[in-house]
Amino acid sequence: MFLLKLAFKNLTRHRKRTLITASIIAVAVVIFLAFDSILLGLNDASYKNIINYSTSEMQVVKNEYWENKDNLPLNNLIKENQEFINKLSSYSIIEGYSRKLIFRARLNNGIDELPIKAVGVKGDEINKTLDLKSKIIEGEFFLNGEKHAVLGKELADLMDLDYGDYLTLLVRTKEDTFNTIELEIGGLLSTPNPDINQNNLYLPLNIAQNSLNLDNEFSHLLIKTNNNIDIGKKAANLENELKNINKNLKVVPWNDLTAVSVMTAKQGANQMILGIILLLAAIGIINTVILAALERMEEIGMMKAMGMKRSEIIISFVMESTGLAIIGGILGCFFGAGVVFFMNKYGIDFAALYNINIEEFGIPIIDNIYGEWKITSFFFVFIFSVIVSLISSIFPAYWAANKNPVDAIHHR
Amino acid sequence: MALLNLKDVKKIYQQGEIEVPALNGINIYIEEGEFTTIFGPSGSGKTTFLNMIGCLDKPTSGEIYFNEKNLKDLNKKELADIRRYNIGFIFQSYNLIPVLTAYENVEFALRLIDGETDEDIKNKVMKILADVGLEGLEERKPNELSGGQKQRVAVARALVKEPKLILADEPTANLDSKTGKEVIEIMLKMNEQLNTTFIFSTHDPKVMDYATRLIEIRDGLISDDERR
Repeated sequence: MFLLKLAFKNLTRHRKRTLITASIIAVAVVIFLAFDSILLGLNDASYKNIINYSTSEMQVVKNEYWENKDNLPLNNLIKENQEFINKLSSYSIIEGYSRKLIFRARLNNGIDELPIKAVGVKGDEINKTLDLKSKIIEGEFFLNGEKHAVLGKELADLMDLDYGDYLTLLVRTKEDTFNTIELEIGGLLSTPNPDINQNNLYLPLNIAQNSLNLDNEFSHLLIKTNNNIDIGKKAANLENELKNINKNLKVVPWNDLTAVSVMTAKQGANQMILGIILLLAAIGIINTVILAALERMEEIGMMKAMGMKRSEIIISFVMESTGLAIIGGILGCFFGAGVVFFMNKYGIDFAALYNINIEEFGIPIIDNIYGEWKITSFFFVFIFSVIVSLISSIFPAYWAANKNPVDAIHHR
Repeated sequence: MALLNLKDVKKIYQQGEIEVPALNGINIYIEEGEFTTIFGPSGSGKTTFLNMIGCLDKPTSGEIYFNEKNLKDLNKKELADIRRYNIGFIFQSYNLIPVLTAYENVEFALRLIDGETDEDIKNKVMKILADVGLEGLEERKPNELSGGQKQRVAVARALVKEPKLILADEPTANLDSKTGKEVIEIMLKMNEQLNTTFIFSTHDPKVMDYATRLIEIRDGLISDDERR
């Protein structure tokens, strides 16, 4: 108890130095919390973008199709089957489903041509799984059978197309012959997902199927569940049930996608960078303890002369450093909370701030990036900084405590 | 009974390849309750002698018995225990902890000793501070005390645990003669009251006058040993 009191009083010995070292720790804590918050916000927004505008929560595909999915093949598609649809409808966890047929096409505006991703969907069921309709900025989503297309505003601007214009899609059929589809632009989209805005064109599923010589076939069945909890387990259960209808069916939850894995890996890399920042705080602590030990060498000698053991001297220094980390950690969490509050409420417009296009970094988000609160991060960084300080003070404290008492007493 | 018994104690310091002898074979008995002064010219080996009997350093050869225990047989932890319970130190430059009050500096010595209750500690610290004439100054920090008052705190810190031996390395060197005399008188009073053995080094002839035994060291050897 007395050692604790001594450690606390030693913190007041050089208030400026205490404040500077605590500030180093506080800055590291604030940076960690800000990064963590923005990463969480980034991930959350990315996941929402994937779920709401691209894949929904689960996708049913054929195994063979999935292996070759990047080529957008027109074989190994799912055939419309009433038993299959009835089975899906009987699951209480399924809130909605929609069919999707993705294929390659070349968009022609009469002058230029651009390769794009064409997506055949049913206008009356798309809303059950994806939130595209609410992102129409001009016109409306087509009804089944209407020869209308919906495309991203950015894509339309790039091809110098506008609402009401006509466009032509050049496609290859299932038999690898050429065909064209002529469509009127019935709506323009602007979603927070840049991939959709720049590359996707939506058209009625039946038109797509007819033009590609597909007989009621589609590539994906998107599924939205009653909640997004335990989605991996739900997908596995559904896959087992669907095996009774078709052994080749695979259910892919949204979090199994490569994009999600990449984002998780990025988060890991960033955690490492943050570790380095906290390491800087550790260097601050080591420096402070060594300075304090050099300054108090005669006192250390006196303490040893009085019979204080090496372990007790080490403990007193370690407690002092821990106190420093607690002060720094509290300050950091306090200011960190302010920064996270700001980022959570107002967000950060990276594009405006740094004149960069964040989409170029493969992050499917546009507009402001909002931070997320995660209370466990506050606890984590606080405890982590205390532990880092505690550990980093042991070596210099040991060095100080190991001094020969005679040399220490006469140290000048 | 001999509190200390030194048999042919030698200490040689190694400075690179050169050997520097500090003590050249000291033989001496020191009885309990003695008030002893060690004197001699600078570099004669006074401080080395005090370090040896204070269990702060080990001799190169020879034996030191403290309370009939051979210090050669003890490890660092056991030597620290002897210092903790049986030896008090008073330094020339006081070596008080600047962030602690006079009370806390004295309390510190008792906190190292097991089995003392808070009440016991408080009573002992207040009594010893009163005995050394610091009543009313308990809450002052070292920077709020004069040199003499600081040395009184150091004396109180050394005495509060009632050790068998108190070692003082030139305790009055930083004090004016009047204050130095006062500090020595306090030490003498404690010696009489508690029968504590005092050994202190000094250059000051006025301080030597108080000693009951005068030991002169020259060139690492005892050149004179006079009891009064």
